[in-house]
Amino acid sequence: MLSRSVLRRGALRCQFAQPVQKRYLAEAASGSFQYQTGDASGVKIASRDLAGPTTTLALVAKAGTRYQLLPGLTEGLEKFAFRGTERRSALRIVRESELLGAELESYHSRENLVIGAKFLRDDLPYFVELLAEVASSTKYLPHVYTEEVLPLIQLAHKKFLASPKAIALSSAHSLAFHRGLGTPVSPASSTPYTKYLAADTIEYFSQFAYAKPNFAIVANGAEHADLSKWVNEFFGGVSAKAPEDLLQSVRDKQSKYYGGEERIAHGSGNSLVLAFPGSSSFTGGFYKPEIQVLASLLGGKSNIKWSSGFSLLSKAAASPGTSVETKSAIYSDAGLLYINVNGTAENVSATAIEAVKTLHSIAGGKIAAEDIKKAKAAAKFQELETGQDISAGLELTGSGLIHGSKAYQLDETAKAIDGVTDAQVKAAAKTLLESKASVSAVGDLFLLPYAEDLGLKV
Amino acid sequence: MSQPSLAPFVLKRQWLTRWMKPLANWYANASGYRKLGLRADDLIPEENDTVLLALKRLPPKEAYDRVFRMRRAFQLSLSHQLLPKEEHTKPEEDVPYLTPLIQEIEAELKEREDLEAMVIEKPTVQKKHGPKLYH
Repeated sequence: MLSRSVLRRGALRCQFAQPVQKRYLAEAASGSFQYQTGDASGVKIASRDLAGPTTTLALVAKAGTRYQLLPGLTEGLEKFAFRGTERRSALRIVRESELLGAELESYHSRENLVIGAKFLRDDLPYFVELLAEVASSTKYLPHVYTEEVLPLIQLAHKKFLASPKAIALSSAHSLAFHRGLGTPVSPASSTPYTKYLAADTIEYFSQFAYAKPNFAIVANGAEHADLSKWVNEFFGGVSAKAPEDLLQSVRDKQSKYYGGEERIAHGSGNSLVLAFPGSSSFTGGFYKPEIQVLASLLGGKSNIKWSSGFSLLSKAAASPGTSVETKSAIYSDAGLLYINVNGTAENVSATAIEAVKTLHSIAGGKIAAEDIKKAKAAAKFQELETGQDISAGLELTGSGLIHGSKAYQLDETAKAIDGVTDAQVKAAAKTLLESKASVSAVGDLFLLPYAEDLGLKV
Repeated sequence: MSQPSLAPFVLKRQWLTRWMKPLANWYANASGYRKLGLRADDLIPEENDTVLLALKRLPPKEAYDRVFRMRRAFQLSLSHQLLPKEEHTKPEEDVPYLTPLIQEIEAELKEREDLEAMVIEKPTVQKKHGPKLYH
């Protein structure tokens, strides 16, 4: 029988193992905005001791859809997180975390798989241990796959199919980067789970994802010395290196930009994506701050309530029901600057034509210096704001550590944005128009324009 | 549901095992299911959620073989025949293939029940005794 006293001891042991440390909001912590990086028993760690009673901890693994060996492996691995381990069942993990008042989460992006938890400061050792357990001793059982993981993957597939925007973005990425970064983030067809996925293939991939050189531990609101101590203690059992054959089969090539056009018919909603080669992450080798400024200059999404905002594209949007946004999607070694228009088919076409005109006018220098100044301020604010937003910072930092042992430092990116000149922005717009675009239209194809109609090269 | 069994008790005691083994073999043969080509685990009643779930968790090959054995046994029973001697289930083939799965599911259910009935106590942090005050 499972004795209750054992459970209590398991859940709360960590609190007794160390003197209770407390810090309240009003007290000053070491308070650095910068991440402190380090290495604990071969695992890269980064932490920043934000003042506050809670901690956010995450394991960021280089196992996003870009690196998966077979379609759907990342999705499967993500859904297998916190299932059952050698020591604890899934139910027990959930109940223990509930008792400690914590939140568990796992998600993935094109490059990273993030497994994380938010909890009270004192429970750090418990959750470091839990992450270590997930990484080293998850049981990949066939019945867990069929009973619990597979239905979630099917749901993710359905969700993807129901969203024209997600389809358009996925299509634009695959046009731009083909394989690697172009792999869809959510299962775009049923082939992953009808043909490739099984508990043992996911387990095989986990040996790559959870090998020490391929993941980093990032914490917000934890003392560096503490984190380092507990990672040292619990991550000893994680394998130091992925098997050689696995390392060779994972594609990790420099991304190359291709471009092209794709049109997909869809019954609910219209979405048009105009994408251009963009900037890599600050930690990658192809960082171009002017792309970020250009993105915020084009803008489209308002930060202010009840107003469409003052960015160029928000003025271009054909009607209040049409939404436009410009984003600079950054990845470790490449990026994509895209303009996404959603709304009724007529409005989407009209807005897209306006958007391309706007790009031409920026490239031609017909833009006020004030606008660029405003855009720089907005870009800087957005950058610092995302960095402060803990979850976004976690993934960027982890990814930076894995790819180049460099954390994502906001102060430096903000400085880079400050240094962008008007001429650089104009030149960037010009290069975009000269390069091949990736255009994907999803929705009512009778009305949505072709790239040629818009005057873009594909 | 896994069947109640004295086997673990007997197997722990070597002398008792030596006594009981011939008896057990005789009993298993005499009960007749081996002559129909069945295994002991084929006889577990499946009309409950636990066994149904365990049957779903069987690997495809095992599940197929199980259905084959049952249909063959049913056919034999209808035609009032037994399998030829060389096709009888051999004692070494008569392994529990379903019982471990059932036990695993029962353990899961038990754990769930235990966790539901859990009593939570807050840890009491021992206070340091301050200097005693005398009046």
